[in-house]
Amino acid sequence: MFTHETLVEGSKMWGLFYLVGFSICVLIYTFLPANRERFERAEREIFDKDDGPWT
Amino acid sequence: MPEVMHRKLERTATGFMLAIIAAASVGGIVEIAPLFTIDDTVEAAPDMRLYTPLELAGRDIYVREGCYACHSQMIRTLRDEVERYGPYSLAVESQYDHPMLWGSKRTGPDLARIGGKYSDFWHVNHLNNPRDVVPESNMPSYRWLGTTPLKLSDLPLALRAQRAVGVPYTDAMIENAARDAYGQAVPDSEQSSGVTERYGEATQISAFDGVTTNVTEMDALVAYLQVLGQLTRAAYENPAAPQQMPDPDD
Amino acid sequence: MMQLTTGERQLGAIVLIALAILGIAMAAAGRTDVLGIHGAMVLLYSLALLFLLFSSAFGPEPSPARLTRYYDDPIKVGVGLTLFWAIFGMFIGVWAAAQLAWPILNFDTSWASFGRIRPAHTSGVIFGFGGNALITTSFHVVQRTSRARLADQFSPWFVLFGFNLFCLIAVSGYFLGVTQSKEYAEAEWYADIWLVIVWVTYFVLYVRTLALRKEPHIYVANWYYMAFIIVVAILHIVNNLAVPLSFAHAKSYTIWAGVQDSMVQWWYGHNAVAFFLTAGFLAMLYYYLPKRAERPIFSYRLSILSFWGITFFYMWAGSHHLHYTALPHWVQNLGMTFSVMLLVPSWASAGNALLTLNGAWHKVRDDATLRFIMMAAFFYGLSTFEGSFLAIRPVNSLSHYTDWTVGHVHAGALGWVAMITFGSLYTLVPAIWKRERMYSAALVEVHFWLALVGTLIYVFAMWNSGIIQGLMWRTYSPDNTLVYSFLDTLLAMYPYYIARAFGGLLFLIGAIVAAYNIWMTVRAPSAAQLPLDEDLPASDRPLDGAAPTPAE
Ligand code: HEM
Ligand code: HEM
Repeated sequence: MFTHETLVEGSKMWGLFYLVGFSICVLIYTFLPANRERFERAEREIFDKDDGPWT
Repeated sequence: MPEVMHRKLERTATGFMLAIIAAASVGGIVEIAPLFTIDDTVEAAPDMRLYTPLELAGRDIYVREGCYACHSQMIRTLRDEVERYGPYSLAVESQYDHPMLWGSKRTGPDLARIGGKYSDFWHVNHLNNPRDVVPESNMPSYRWLGTTPLKLSDLPLALRAQRAVGVPYTDAMIENAARDAYGQAVPDSEQSSGVTERYGEATQISAFDGVTTNVTEMDALVAYLQVLGQLTRAAYENPAAPQQMPDPDD
Repeated sequence: MMQLTTGERQLGAIVLIALAILGIAMAAAGRTDVLGIHGAMVLLYSLALLFLLFSSAFGPEPSPARLTRYYDDPIKVGVGLTLFWAIFGMFIGVWAAAQLAWPILNFDTSWASFGRIRPAHTSGVIFGFGGNALITTSFHVVQRTSRARLADQFSPWFVLFGFNLFCLIAVSGYFLGVTQSKEYAEAEWYADIWLVIVWVTYFVLYVRTLALRKEPHIYVANWYYMAFIIVVAILHIVNNLAVPLSFAHAKSYTIWAGVQDSMVQWWYGHNAVAFFLTAGFLAMLYYYLPKRAERPIFSYRLSILSFWGITFFYMWAGSHHLHYTALPHWVQNLGMTFSVMLLVPSWASAGNALLTLNGAWHKVRDDATLRFIMMAAFFYGLSTFEGSFLAIRPVNSLSHYTDWTVGHVHAGALGWVAMITFGSLYTLVPAIWKRERMYSAALVEVHFWLALVGTLIYVFAMWNSGIIQGLMWRTYSPDNTLVYSFLDTLLAMYPYYIARAFGGLLFLIGAIVAAYNIWMTVRAPSAAQLPLDEDLPASDRPLDGAAPTPAE
């Protein structure tokens, strides 16, 4: 059904598309303006003065 | 309201985990899946024989003692390796190796083609105390192998497990595993003929550790070492030219 | 006092009794096989824990005020276990190093021969030391960054003690000659199954705790811990699929053969490096570095980009362990390409860490703990650069099979993994035990220099020996014959093997100093109770009068 060559070709090509697609998604997520605020909050969050769970 | 919020938070976490799985699984799938169709393209070795029960037991001892931590069994396609150790290793040669023992460190030399290079006697001395034969060696001594009897009763189970993972042992081989191990280590015993019958005329039958009254772990390990590189002639038959030493800038 | 509720105590007792019965069953089935010995060990282990549990089982219910605090008891025990395995694993490492220089040091015993203690070293340090450090710090970080208490009180103990049972079975097995021979996955099938159970519990606990978080965003350190947990589970299961001789035998055969096995093994092996020795430790970096430096991470966005880069690229890189072998060429090339690409997210992480310190260099100068973390980031950058370089085929043709690999490994293991761990521990210990600082800052300083000098000696010795040996193997005389026998090249190694053992010894002494310092910190009376508002939730103070549960 599959020969070795077609499988290798297929997986390489598919892998490349996947890589490109994935990178685009990650870039969008990282630089989406809507996310800016939460990232800035996260950066400082660990310095908040408290050491107990919030309830 | 908090309920809704909570669910939303969990959705973030779940989506995030799925993304990790999606990112992490492609590489492995792309590289590993095609290897299972490799038989289509790789050399065939119709003359390939299976490990005898004694050799398989020896292989298990090789694993148990961690020999693979210092010895590779994979001659790379580089000129100096081919000249030092013999024709480079082919994929077929380890097609029945569960697990493969290619190794990653050569504190000692490669062993892929060690079979037949030294006498049984040399191996026994060397394993008992490497420094008796190679004064500068840093290999540990394995004196206890020669005094520990080989556990023959486990061999049928071992062959059956090997068959379960894909090695074509026959029923007769499994049934006679313990006899065959004995027969291979005790030449001229009545069990010996069965070994060549089942595993081929080329199978070495020998008192590997020099003692024929019992079968020890030393017998098994030496039998295994002597068969390394000898299961098929494929690597000798059509050796392509090894690669030259790569230029740093190629 | 572990703050367990009655229900949790009962659950604990049931689980331990079930485990004890399992141990008896293993002992009965295995008899003289090592499986039988391991059965006895499982039995003893569960009885010992059962004894501990019962000795506090009939106390009163813990006060509800505990829920207003983080659950730190497992972290305290985890710190102790981390230090125990550090010293054990590194001691075995020094011993193994010494055996290569003086082979009689196995005293002619089977259990101490090099091939058996080497996996005891690697598993001891990677899983025992590294694994416990990861579990311990992850419990700390996930609570603090989520502002939520661990989701329950039973599963943290199950994860911690269950994982250590795995380590114990694995390492004792190697001494007794039980191994699958797969590097970093030597433990046999029954230990592997047990680890799956422990790991699933760990995963569920982590996700449940994250789900309780009060921050909408999941802090990036948790991403790395999650990737570590999830991917290690995938790798572990696929690589360890095996068929045992029978349920009464410890021995098994992997289902993978030959080339496929080699690829599966190094897909696992390389990603054990990536997700065990890198991702989880980057999580430590992203939490303890900003905390200790009291500066936010240089770029949060960069940390996200490098996270996905690492998660994606690493999985392709395993085949660089198989250059010039019988593995098909195209797989080797893919592995090489992705390994080189990996340098980008790796250096992004290392750079992000070092840039965070920009402007705080005076702190690095004065504070040995911060210096540990800084050095770790530096060695992370160094070993990933070296790794990408070694992955290039022609370079690998020289380095593979030599000590150069071992030097690379320990630049990562000592310089990166161990240093970031000690830096994190020195930050975590005073915080958890509510001490103002470590018992002795001078001892931290001593440890730092022992660790740094030890690492440098080790790594330089191995670079030298590796490159020399690689070059000697391929030296040709003018008439085109090989000049050196294998033995000639071995002889050239001895001075370096001695140097390496010495460097390792320094590193080991450093770890012992750390253990002493931490022990004294814990023992010291809690001098100044931290002011209340540092220790308790801002939004919701505990009921007046409810005494906070004492820290053991
Ligand atoms: C006291 C410090 C240490 C010493 C003296 C030491 C020594 C050694 C020795 C002698 C070997 C065998 C090398 C060979 O086969 O030629 C080795 C291998 C190894 N060690 Fe260490 N070690 C130390 C610390 C560590 C630490 C802290 C880690 C990990 C966190 C680690 C991880 C490893 C790994 C992964 C290997 C296998 C390398 C390979 O397969 O190429 N070591 N170590
Ligand atoms: C960009 C990152 C990295 C790349 C591309 C990389 C690449 C490599 C390469 C090419 C080898 C040699 C394989 C061989 O010839 O056998 C290797 C071995 C190894 N590396 Fe790395 N490395 C990286 C980072 C690290 C880090 C940070 C650590 C440790 C914390 C590490 C631990 C190891 C170990 C344990 C081995 C030895 C495997 C063995 O043969 O047993 N690597 N790595």
